[in-house]
Amino acid sequence: MNCSPYDLKDFFFGELEAGQGRQMEEHLEGCSECREEFERLRLTRTALDSLREEEPPRRIAFVSDTVFEPRWWQALWQSGPRLGFASAALLAAAILVHGLVRPVPNVSPTPDTAAIEARVGAEVARRIAPAVQAAVSESEARQAKKTEELVSATRKNFELQRDADRVWIAETVTLLQKKYNVLQLASAEMGARP
Amino acid sequence: MIFREVEDRDLIAKARRGGVEAYNLLISRWEKRVFNYLLRLVRNREDALDLSQEAFLKAYQNLGKLEDAGRFGPWLYRIAHNEAFSLLRKRKPEGDAEPPPTGEARSFRMFPIELTLAVKSALARLDPDQREAVILKIYQGFKFEEIAEVLSCPVSTVKSRLYTALDLLKDTLAPIQTRGVQ
Repeated sequence: MNCSPYDLKDFFFGELEAGQGRQMEEHLEGCSECREEFERLRLTRTALDSLREEEPPRRIAFVSDTVFEPRWWQALWQSGPRLGFASAALLAAAILVHGLVRPVPNVSPTPDTAAIEARVGAEVARRIAPAVQAAVSESEARQAKKTEELVSATRKNFELQRDADRVWIAETVTLLQKKYNVLQLASAEMGARP
Repeated sequence: MIFREVEDRDLIAKARRGGVEAYNLLISRWEKRVFNYLLRLVRNREDALDLSQEAFLKAYQNLGKLEDAGRFGPWLYRIAHNEAFSLLRKRKPEGDAEPPPTGEARSFRMFPIELTLAVKSALARLDPDQREAVILKIYQGFKFEEIAEVLSCPVSTVKSRLYTALDLLKDTLAPIQTRGVQ
């Protein structure tokens, strides 16, 4: 039966939306075949409804027996709050036990300060001498290098100054020589005059 | 719907804490429906009762796995379905169903008891999947989505089984109803 706009059984079981249902009602009014098919479905449903429910021959009930009780771990596992509380309690117990039974470090209540000081002193002496030596050597080397550089610079300045002095002396001597010559000439000229 | 002072979900919460009496109250609310579902499916009263007890016991032991207490019904039927089909698989193929009434027998008006027997016989001739779809929809009044949840299959499969079953039942039962019942 394909002439109906929607499945006739969907309509029969109330599966269609309101608008679709109205379309089916209108279709059934005008289609005798679909109307007869719908009537057969209704008769079938009526026949099926004639079958009544029966009472169970015995009541089902459980007694409070360990056989039927969930085991303690099942009850625990099946309850979120209980499981959370149990986990927290277990963690707290573990922390407590750890705090009580963990091994304590063997610390002497009165330490031998003299021995410690001697050991520390020896260790310091052993380490300080090479360190000081190395530092002194490094410092001396740095100082020697700086001194050498200063000496070199001074020597160079001295030589430059000496060269300059030599030039100045030579020029001065030349100038004096020229002045002397001029005086000689002047003197000679004055002597020759009457 | 009868007003219930205590909702199923309250009873389930108590039963989860080990409250057997709360669970017994829950059973009393569901046992008749579950028993009739199983009875029409396996067609044997003792088997139906045994399966009911087994289903309720398994439900009790697995209450913690029920995520939504508001879905107890479909969840319980799912367990009952598994129990029933476990039994049906162990049984021999169903071949003891009565044949459909002959033309002569179908020509008379029936007494109500005869109609009941005719309906039982017609249901027995369906295969278990089709019969279960009819039981859950017509006798138990579940929605298609709920049936799909119970059977763990698509709604389209549920409809296909139901509509095929209805066509088969219609051929047998509609003529009887047309002739009338005395």
